[in-house]
Amino acid sequence: MSADMLEIDGSYGEGGGQVLRSALTLSLVTGTPFRITKIRAGRGRPGLLRQHLTCVKASCEISGADADGAELGSQTLTFRPSGPASARGGSYTFAVGSAGRTSLVLATVMLPLLLASGESVVRLEGGTHNPLAPPYEFLVEVLFPRLHELGFRIGATFERAGFFPAGGGSFTVTLGSGALLEPRAASWLTRGELTLSGAVVLANVGDRIGGREKIALAASLGIDRDAVTIKEVPSPGPGNAVMARATRNGLTHELVTAFGERGKTSETVAEDAAAQMKKYLASTAPIGEHLADQLLVPLALAKGGTFLTHVKSMHLTTNAWVLSRFLGDVVTFADEGNTTRVEVRPRP
Amino acid sequence: MKRRKVVLGFLGTQLDAGRAGNRWERWRPTVDLCRQDDFVVDRLVLFMEPQHTHLADEVIADLRSVSPETEVVRTELGITDPWDFEQVFSRLMDCAQRMKFEPEKEDYFVHISTGTHVAQICLFLLTEARYFPGKLLQTSPPRGRAGKGHPGSAQVIDLDLSRYDRLASRFEKERKTAQAHLKAGIATKSVAYNQTIERIGEVATASSAPILLLGPTGSGKSQLAKRIYEVKKERRRLSGPFVEVNCATLRGDAAMSTLFGHAKGAFTGALAAREGLLRRADGGALFLDEIGELGADEPAMLLRAIEEKVFYPMGQDREVKSDFELLCGTNKELPKLATQGKFRPDLLARIDLWTFRLPPLSERREDLPPNLDFELDEASRLFRRQVTMSREARAAYLVFAASEDATWPGNFRDLNASVTRMATLAPGGRITEPVVTDEIARLCAAFSAGDEASGGPREGRVDRVLGARRARALDLFDRAQLEEVLRVCTRERSLSAAGRVLFAESRKSRTSTNDADRLRKYLARFELTYEETR
Repeated sequence: MSADMLEIDGSYGEGGGQVLRSALTLSLVTGTPFRITKIRAGRGRPGLLRQHLTCVKASCEISGADADGAELGSQTLTFRPSGPASARGGSYTFAVGSAGRTSLVLATVMLPLLLASGESVVRLEGGTHNPLAPPYEFLVEVLFPRLHELGFRIGATFERAGFFPAGGGSFTVTLGSGALLEPRAASWLTRGELTLSGAVVLANVGDRIGGREKIALAASLGIDRDAVTIKEVPSPGPGNAVMARATRNGLTHELVTAFGERGKTSETVAEDAAAQMKKYLASTAPIGEHLADQLLVPLALAKGGTFLTHVKSMHLTTNAWVLSRFLGDVVTFADEGNTTRVEVRPRP
Repeated sequence: MKRRKVVLGFLGTQLDAGRAGNRWERWRPTVDLCRQDDFVVDRLVLFMEPQHTHLADEVIADLRSVSPETEVVRTELGITDPWDFEQVFSRLMDCAQRMKFEPEKEDYFVHISTGTHVAQICLFLLTEARYFPGKLLQTSPPRGRAGKGHPGSAQVIDLDLSRYDRLASRFEKERKTAQAHLKAGIATKSVAYNQTIERIGEVATASSAPILLLGPTGSGKSQLAKRIYEVKKERRRLSGPFVEVNCATLRGDAAMSTLFGHAKGAFTGALAAREGLLRRADGGALFLDEIGELGADEPAMLLRAIEEKVFYPMGQDREVKSDFELLCGTNKELPKLATQGKFRPDLLARIDLWTFRLPPLSERREDLPPNLDFELDEASRLFRRQVTMSREARAAYLVFAASEDATWPGNFRDLNASVTRMATLAPGGRITEPVVTDEIARLCAAFSAGDEASGGPREGRVDRVLGARRARALDLFDRAQLEEVLRVCTRERSLSAAGRVLFAESRKSRTSTNDADRLRKYLARFELTYEETR
């Protein structure tokens, strides 16, 4: 075993799949091999689950890396990339079973491919709208614009929605290669006056649901009904989501989602989305809870930057810890009133 | 290379079917099996029939969506009636024999949560018989808060029960209690004996076949038979009584009637009908001790009663049924008796299935201390007072009991009698050294008398000096006398000295003192000289 093998405690912080995914990303970019132990220790079903394996396999596929212990239930995984920046641009398809969260697989391979030589086209199949991961709309409306600001080139084309439990959604992401476009350090400290709007996403469910959700969301957010769109999407199974977004000058600062399910009234779903939005609006921070933890690694791999967020979540601090294992202390947190100031220095 | 998981199972024509639109809210075993977070199916062999093609298409399309890793193989079995056991079994068996299994590369799972109950039973049987070289897989719907759309769970059922800790410890406990019971709670140390008991325990719990206990008199056959019955009864294999009979006590008409019963007036003196032991043992166990002593007529009837569970009582032309488990005991070499025509070979074949040899006490000297404790406890119960032994007494007794002098010809019966005697003579229930010393003397005398009476393990002096052929020609009267004379001759230094000992009483009253001459004449009757006795 090589001396520079990084030992990572998989039960640290959030203790779930996130430590593994961030470690895979950073290992592919830096070329540092790692061994993660106690993967999901203490959970009901400890060790690697199916969705984690998909991330490991995808990481191996884009880079020719080597993984030991990539088996269901395995609590230890050794990952050896073939070198620094070993990801190769190209055409990839990652199918995620069990309506799994395609956005998490994308999050794992996105930066290595963005930094690889050669452009990539990645087709993702599986769940696109899953309560436990950012939905497709969040990626294209909230995350990708921020990545553009950092100089990364990324875009996506939507095909079908995949809701829990049927899955079967798909979209294609194109990732630009190598050199950053006008790279600059980010500074996301203010958000200014925001405009609220909403979207109801429907797949194979009755029209009445959409109408009721539109009315309820508009009422809860205190906006005009016309500011809420109803979007019918193709999908193999039934599905319904209500989204609320906050924009300024064409940039969506935050997009929150609530999912419809049997036994939950349309009004409850709409109110759920509105409540999440109100929580974001209650602070003055521009960067929402879920965006914050997804920005740490891109910032560290680009030119760094500073942002304010309203929740110092466990995912955020866990990601900062994984970054520190690979890159040293590049993240600093400072509490400022009801917000947290996060400073990320570019990797040495 | 990672092992692939292959699942075989029926397309559930009811459970896997979705009614318009809501199929994703229903639990569908085949689809949900492939949605597990911690169990990925690499290949699914789906048993289906052509009339369900439409459903199969839908299920397979859904599987592709939720489990892109899974390759689905449609397999038509040609079952026309899924409730016809014979058809389902034979079609599945054909399929199992046709399939190429590669257990070195793949793990097989037989999904039993779909299909008719007949199909499930057949899958179970074929998996247990290893036609399908895999484990059973059961899926179950989501429970409680998990809610709609949740895939429920999948459990692998391993038919190797020893893999289940709680079951294994339970079986072990049952086994231990059965063994402890068979040994009457005596912590025996003899490896051979313990192995025998272990095996008897297994047979007693698992089989209803006859058990034959071989062993010398007093080795505990009868007690063991009783305990085997109790173990069988404990495991609910028997509901009837334990009936014991010593075949050596059966003679003539009485023998037949004792065993098989008789009708009223069947023979002179048969004033009333009699049930017979075989009938009484119905549902229980019959222990035939000393089965080698069975008369000429009984074995034929007995054989039929064992094989067909019916027999005719004497003087009755109506058959009587009795279903009992047979235990036999003997100290004879039955195969030898059978070749000599003294025991029916077919009866022997029937009872000689599980034969266990109980070693004599002399071969189980390491078991003397625990058995001594057991006998002391028994004596305490019998005398209704605590019977104990002083440490010195116990040590002295055990030294003798384990010595070469203690032959224990009557085995445990001798030990039991010995302890009972000591307990009777023990002041205040405490067996002391003097009591033990007396008892050892008593046992020595009994054991050596036993030797001579039976021709015993020690070769008699008469045999040695005269030769076996001439010795056999002697009356016991002469032989006993000669034996003692020879013993004295061997011990004393000369003919005269031996004569003086042998005729000591008459010397006191008689004038003639030519004892040497008297002895020489006595020996001459057997064509012996004094020198030849040495």
